[in-house]
Amino acid sequence: MFGMVKRPEVSDRGRNGTSDGPASIEMIMLRNVNIHYGSNHAVKGVSMDIKTRKVTAFIGPSGCGKSTLLRAMNRMNDEIDGCKTEGEIVLKGTNVLGKKVDPVALRTKVGMVFQKPNPFPKSIYDNVAYGPKIHGMRKKRSLDERVELSLKRAALWDEVKDRLHESAMGLSGGQQQRLCIARALAVEPDVILMDEPCSALDPIATSKIEDLIFELKKNYTVIIVTHNMQQAARVSDETGFMYLGELIEFGPTKQIFENPKNKLTENYITGRFG
Amino acid sequence: MNWSRSKGGPGHDPFKKRFRPGEDLVVWFLLAMASLAIVVSATIIYTLVDGSYDFFTDSRVNIFDFFTGSDWMPNGMDPKFGILPLVQGTILIAGGALLIGGPLGIAAAVYLSEFAHRRVRMVAKPVLEILAGIPSIVYGFFALLVISPFLREYFDADYFNAAAAIIVMAVMVLPIIVSVSDDSMKAVPKHMREASIAMGATKWETATRVVMPAASSGIMASVLLGLARAIGETMVVALAAGSVAKGGWDIFGEHMTMTSYIAQVATGDIPPGLGVQAAFAVGLVLFAMTYMVNSLAARIVLRIKMGKRPARDNMMTRAVNRLKLLSRFKLRASEFMTDVTDRFKRDRKEPRLLFRHMNERVGKVVLATSLVLAVTFLAFLLYSIFTQGYKGLSWEFLTNPLSWKPEKAGIKVVIQGSVYLVLLTMVFTLPVGVGAAVYLNEFAKETWFNVFLRRVIQNLAGVPSIVFGLVGLMVFVRTFHFGLSLLSGSLTLSIMVLPVIIVTSEEALRSVPQTFREAARGLGATKWQTVWHHVLPNAVPGILTGTILSLSRAIGETAPILFIASFYSKVAPRSVLDGFVALPINIFYWTKNPSHEFQDLAATTIIVLLAILLSMNALAIFIRQRAQSRRQW
Repeated sequence: MFGMVKRPEVSDRGRNGTSDGPASIEMIMLRNVNIHYGSNHAVKGVSMDIKTRKVTAFIGPSGCGKSTLLRAMNRMNDEIDGCKTEGEIVLKGTNVLGKKVDPVALRTKVGMVFQKPNPFPKSIYDNVAYGPKIHGMRKKRSLDERVELSLKRAALWDEVKDRLHESAMGLSGGQQQRLCIARALAVEPDVILMDEPCSALDPIATSKIEDLIFELKKNYTVIIVTHNMQQAARVSDETGFMYLGELIEFGPTKQIFENPKNKLTENYITGRFG
Repeated sequence: MNWSRSKGGPGHDPFKKRFRPGEDLVVWFLLAMASLAIVVSATIIYTLVDGSYDFFTDSRVNIFDFFTGSDWMPNGMDPKFGILPLVQGTILIAGGALLIGGPLGIAAAVYLSEFAHRRVRMVAKPVLEILAGIPSIVYGFFALLVISPFLREYFDADYFNAAAAIIVMAVMVLPIIVSVSDDSMKAVPKHMREASIAMGATKWETATRVVMPAASSGIMASVLLGLARAIGETMVVALAAGSVAKGGWDIFGEHMTMTSYIAQVATGDIPPGLGVQAAFAVGLVLFAMTYMVNSLAARIVLRIKMGKRPARDNMMTRAVNRLKLLSRFKLRASEFMTDVTDRFKRDRKEPRLLFRHMNERVGKVVLATSLVLAVTFLAFLLYSIFTQGYKGLSWEFLTNPLSWKPEKAGIKVVIQGSVYLVLLTMVFTLPVGVGAAVYLNEFAKETWFNVFLRRVIQNLAGVPSIVFGLVGLMVFVRTFHFGLSLLSGSLTLSIMVLPVIIVTSEEALRSVPQTFREAARGLGATKWQTVWHHVLPNAVPGILTGTILSLSRAIGETAPILFIASFYSKVAPRSVLDGFVALPINIFYWTKNPSHEFQDLAATTIIVLLAILLSMNALAIFIRQRAQSRRQW
């Protein structure tokens, strides 16, 4: 189980995209993933390969299953009664949907950022330190380091370094969302899932998050669900278009937006839909 | 449109403000109904203060000794009135109950809110509601005749002992603690749990480190509400904890609480004179204590509802701020300490997953256990009462009059007394309660007066029931000269259930969609027409349900009518000015009776009382269900 795999400390970890070797280039393989909510067949037979250290975007009209698919990747759907997932999602050689996989361990590797910023009603520091703490980090010095590093990675450090012990609820929406990203980073995941991370934010905060996503892909695999096609075009390397639970087309973002192969994709991209 | 066609001819202003004396009259009338709550509150305080004044000005009483003395001997030639043993008894029993019931209740609430399957909730919630609905006299019976013998056998406890009261009261405070804690944890947004889960926290970690801290003020309020309930509880201590105020902390010995002293006065165990006057001073202290605890809880709840701190304008917040300043120094000190202890800590590199999952499993078992305990207790309570009482159930028992001979005794007049009492209570409270609710929900604006009114009603709901007994005695029996009659009894019960009826009626009114009001007002209906034609008719089932439920509380109440009800009568009351007997009062005296036959009959009477409660509740549920299925909105 990969939860037990020994990994180097964060500070000296080579995050330049080459050290992991060629075997993990295609890091997340989805094979015939089907998801049911009760009688609703929300995701239908999706197969795809998601590349590491790239930004992959899912687009499509609401209710097309893109968020559901995203939540399957760190088994957040387990928390919903009556949700059944079939197929395989292979991460580092392990099918994460398998019975033997511990979702708690999986989620430390596959972090998530939600649609609405959801900081805990604690201080900024405690928000970020929460993850490392539950995963066994107890030394204050290590925690301080991890908090600082994570906040820096989320491009929030300069704005909050003087008020780390104030409530996170006092931050603006955009800052809260970056805090949530920092909080996810503090657990040291490999993959970050983002479920419409900018839908509750204003344009300025959105552009900050988008810059951040661009930075993050140097070190992490980012998978983002978005309603906003411009956003997908701006931030992602690869794009998948979903419609009625099916993955209609998946490929490099440039190709999807400029030269879609499928008629449905073309209609959606060009706004001739419905 | 030709405006001049309306009456008055040319020159008449059609939009002129019209004089509507009827409408104003109605609003004034409703306001008067609502203000009755203020009158009642003022009366309570006046009665207690006035009675205490008479007591303290007596030459044999020293006010200083009253608050510091540790001897409570109200009888005899040289009475001593030092309240400390009573306060001590109250703290011992209420505190003990909370020490057991608090953790159990919070644990059960965490389990229900965070872990329990929907089906478990569907069983646990009604069980807690039943526990909350069982009259306190039944708990008293259980404490004295079931728990106490057990303690006598295994712990060498006295016949009357605090421990039995503590155990039973721990269960009595469970429902309020569980429901308020559960509500406040349920109110923690789902996305916070998701955030924690998504970071690889287990459910247990999420519950203890995210949800519980976020709901901490609600949990705190629930414990305070439980404490106020325990302090004000009368019948359990009056039956099980004894009548000797000897102080000390021996939980297996006799103790007297403030409430049980007043109850002693009510049952005539204290001869008329100074000892009776002392009850008012004790009542005043009791009132002040529960008032403080309740208003602290109310403040916390208010803060949660508003989502912010109230204005920092009074003593309480100032004291809190001072404490905060103090804690800042403590923070410095603790920072230094972490620097020191940090050296000995080691970060754990392995994820300790096995351990964390074990933690969760153990935690879940512990939490679930508390719920199982509550269910077991209820089952045991019902079982033991049933086994003790079912033999006495017979047609003769239900139709015979009271008797001194257990084999001939029946409860016909007792049932009649209770039924008359509750019917009269309904006649008094329904118009007043609904009127007040209509005023508050439909007419009241956010003026200081209405804010005050709401607070008064809220506080009224927290007054210990035995205090209503004192007030009923002074006001209805003595001042109005209604005597120890059905009228006095039902009026006393009425002022007690009034706040509950107001609150439930308000809820029913609030559930009527705002669009109905707007539609009617848009057609030119006056406010009162709107209420009378559209709001009230749609709120009737809700009001009825709430009223029946409050009356089912009233029928089981013992303490408020302990002063007024008779304990023996051969005939049912023929007029409202006749004396009466009532089911809970009868249970009280039969439980206290040393003869086993009468104790068994007390159990039989409890079965009858519970059956009546059950049918009232069933009726309320039936009305609600029917209204919901017929509702078109």
